Amino acid sequence: MVATAFSSLVAMETEEAQIARGLRRRDPDLLDALIEQYQHRLLRYLLHLTGNRATAEDLFQETWLRVLEKGHLYDGKNRFVTWLMSIAHNVAIDHLRKRSPSSLDEMKDPEDGAPFEPAASGPSPLDTAITDQEHEMFHAALSQVPPLFREVMVLRFQEQMKLEEIAKLVKIPVATVKTRIYRGVMALRPALKGGAQ
Amino acid sequence: MTNHEHERAVDLVTRRGEDDISTSDQAWLESHLAQCPECAEFAGLTESAGQLLRSVAITANPALVAVTQARVRARAEQLREHQARIVLIAISFCIGVLASTASAWLWWKVGGWVVGRLGLPESIVVPGVLLFWLLPAVAVAVLMLVVPQPLFERSLMLSLAREHEGEKR
Repeated sequence: MVATAFSSLVAMETEEAQIARGLRRRDPDLLDALIEQYQHRLLRYLLHLTGNRATAEDLFQETWLRVLEKGHLYDGKNRFVTWLMSIAHNVAIDHLRKRSPSSLDEMKDPEDGAPFEPAASGPSPLDTAITDQEHEMFHAALSQVPPLFREVMVLRFQEQMKLEEIAKLVKIPVATVKTRIYRGVMALRPALKGGAQ
Repeated sequence: MTNHEHERAVDLVTRRGEDDISTSDQAWLESHLAQCPECAEFAGLTESAGQLLRSVAITANPALVAVTQARVRARAEQLREHQARIVLIAISFCIGVLASTASAWLWWKVGGWVVGRLGLPESIVVPGVLLFWLLPAVAVAVLMLVVPQPLFERSLMLSLAREHEGEKR
């Protein structure tokens, strides 16, 4: 069992090291493969973070361009997905700071000063994917959860990242990650309770 | 029950599913949840939120992936050309420095020989060689002052503008 765990660890290290080498060379074939591999996870994260499909798609492209430019900074010691998400996090923060001088903590829609939330026009991908009432209620409630809480919840529950990985990615202490998850879950309480009834 | 116990329970609930939670911690959590309705509620809500988040299917559009791959390839090509240009400039600079150093010694000898042949005073060798050595740079500087927008500067600005345009696109 120990041998299996060790061999899988070595395999992972080799894979991450290969990615790091490819990124240093700016290997276009490797980048194509990475874009294919992580497309859904990255878009899902950006969509939950920004709440808007068009913005998320713009940031999706920006993230990969930044991966290309900053690829030499990836050392292959951590999981690639964690590094990719941290790049996406920084791209999203840069974008939101350009749109609004306030920080991510006080993210507001610059159009009307209302809390930042998904665009009202047209169904969002979440809307189309979610059909039953419980999911609709959950989605509506999720869009009301502050992006900072939503972000850590998505990383923890959807991307199955460890608290330490999230802390490193978002550049906050582990205790803050836990607090944000707790507050995010409690903010969803009415929707989750309603759905349960 | 103490606050410390609740905090420990919240910590373990948020970590549920991670491989490195020990069986003793798991057992402690289960017994705590059985006794503490608040933590049990949080655990239930966390479980539901996790399930609902995982059930949402969001997929990227194939066109988005194709456009991104094309943009990344184009930018990679641009960066490679830029890097090649920098390497070329660095090599040219090194060759220039080496050639200047070698030719300085040669000009010194040539200057001494000319002064000897023409019977000029030896004090003229140093300023003469220096002037001759710096003459090309002085000529280029004068040319740049006379011509308002030298060709090479215009081409540099054009390439910078193209790069900027590419980034915007």
